[in-house]
Amino acid sequence: MARYVMVVDLEKCTGCQTCVVACKMWNGLGPGIQRVTVVEKEEGEYPNVRRAYIPKRCMNCKDPQCTKVCPTGATKRDDEKSVVTVDKDKCMGCRYCMMACPYNARTFYKHEQWYHEEPSAWEKKRYKEHTEGVVDKCDFCISRIDSGLKKALTPGVDPDATPMCVLSCIADALHFGDIDDPESNVSKIIEARGGFRLLPEMETDPSIYYLPKRTGNEADKS
Amino acid sequence: MNENISFLIDFIREAFRGGRIFYSWMSLLTLIVLLGIFSYSRQLQEGLIVSGMSDQVSWGVYIANFTFLVGVAAAAVMLVIPSYIFNDKAIKEVVLLAEGLAVAACIMCMLFVAVDLGRPDRFWHLIPMIGEFNFPHSMLAWDVFVLTGYLFLSLTIPYYILFMRYKGAEAKHNVYFPGVVLSIGWAISIHTVTAFLLSSNVARPFWHTAILGPRFLASAFSAGPAFFLLTLQFVRRYTDYPVSPIIFRRIAIIATAALQINLFLLFAEVFTEFYHQTDHTVSAVYLFFGIGDKTALVPWIWTSLALNVAAVIILSIHPLRERDKLLNLACVMMVVGVWIEKGMGLIVPGFVPTPLGEVFEYSPTLVEVTVSAGIWAAGLMIYTLLAKAAIGIELGNVRLHSSSVPVS
Repeated sequence: MARYVMVVDLEKCTGCQTCVVACKMWNGLGPGIQRVTVVEKEEGEYPNVRRAYIPKRCMNCKDPQCTKVCPTGATKRDDEKSVVTVDKDKCMGCRYCMMACPYNARTFYKHEQWYHEEPSAWEKKRYKEHTEGVVDKCDFCISRIDSGLKKALTPGVDPDATPMCVLSCIADALHFGDIDDPESNVSKIIEARGGFRLLPEMETDPSIYYLPKRTGNEADKS
Repeated sequence: MNENISFLIDFIREAFRGGRIFYSWMSLLTLIVLLGIFSYSRQLQEGLIVSGMSDQVSWGVYIANFTFLVGVAAAAVMLVIPSYIFNDKAIKEVVLLAEGLAVAACIMCMLFVAVDLGRPDRFWHLIPMIGEFNFPHSMLAWDVFVLTGYLFLSLTIPYYILFMRYKGAEAKHNVYFPGVVLSIGWAISIHTVTAFLLSSNVARPFWHTAILGPRFLASAFSAGPAFFLLTLQFVRRYTDYPVSPIIFRRIAIIATAALQINLFLLFAEVFTEFYHQTDHTVSAVYLFFGIGDKTALVPWIWTSLALNVAAVIILSIHPLRERDKLLNLACVMMVVGVWIEKGMGLIVPGFVPTPLGEVFEYSPTLVEVTVSAGIWAAGLMIYTLLAKAAIGIELGNVRLHSSSVPVS
């Protein structure tokens, strides 16, 4: 059993939003629905001000809050692939999970709408997986992992088995892999650079690690 | 069985019989219900995009009304306990009306949950025995379970008592008393579960407090009886049903004590939040003072506090409370004050700011307001009809064999 995690290098992220667009394209998401957001924050005080970018998506926690509160059991954790999924045919759109999520990582598909008058063939195909009126979120591109594993590919290494946002990142700020495997790319990066997770006190055991900026406070002081 | 059918027919007939005032009132309510249905049809067509809710503030005025009305439903217990347990003869005269209000409030609660769903066609998932429940983990599943149970109890106990009266027989104590005892515990549970639904979330520090359950009960037992008292004024004025002044005095004392406790609990909450502010205080700061130029809720919560404090002052001073007009005014202030405090003033700030510190405000759209108004009108309609028929039976106007309906 693998434990897939994503590593976000805050040092490298330029806030370009390519991951957002790549995710929307791959998943055929219309306007108003977004699985990845890049939160922008200003840090420091004049004259030492800078902008921080924090790419945020579902943390696919090992002990999530959302699966507990879901009244129908539509949102579940797939322990085999270590991701949290939403059953689009069972979700009734009560949004209790959105309230329970400490990361505000879920999005609600309020209305079926498209960027052009008609959805493209691809958008139509993908729409079936996230219909109007239900809650949607990042699932680490589980369909790509699934089909990759069937072809004996390694998620995070082989492009066909890797989440679309990781592939698209222009700065190589995103990494994906199995943290249980000490030889995997993510294990090595985390070993070398440490990394933190958001709101560890929530005891949700999230699957996204953030690498802090290397320059950190020293840069501010100089 | 036939007696039951003729009872139901006579019950409905009595419920819909009335004079000009009755029909004007019902027409007004019908108009508002139709407006609500029209707005809801728009929401069905276009999705929840017509609401003011967002990914950041994912619950709004629908759930705010829901939490308030669960309290109104539970508050019937404050009349059930004195009348059935302590055998208070005065309160017993109106306890069936209170249970009618509980039925109407329960139905309104269910409607508010239903209109809040993104996929109302999947509401059947919430029907016990039929749908798929994430039981016992999900507090929402528990909430549906206790609400349905409470609705059942609030319907069956008065049904039995009224049916016996309709037949001209005495209701047997042994038959309804176990149900009454069960309904007392059940009433407490519906509101506790609703509080737990919010307070169990570690992600929302504003709600994550053990005092939320007790606060819910205290506010329910103040606003619920106050609302009921106001409806009794109409009963006294427009029907022949004798409502003795002592009933008003008793209910006013119940509401007063509950409001005093409620304000104390609110004070305890505010003190703990503000004595030493942490990151977890931000939602309370947003609610009471706003963050920067985001101050949407500030006028609401201060209005609510002013209303509640004014109400508690009027009600705590005996000579003032004894005056009918001031009592009614205090009740109106209390109902509105609590409605804000545990509606918009409780649900919305829980979402603001987001855990990452972004401040997104919420205000309801016209669609949400009209749908909510429609549900309230539907609830008042149900209450009016139930109360009217119950009064008719209690007064002895409707009796088995005395009606024109042939009983075979």
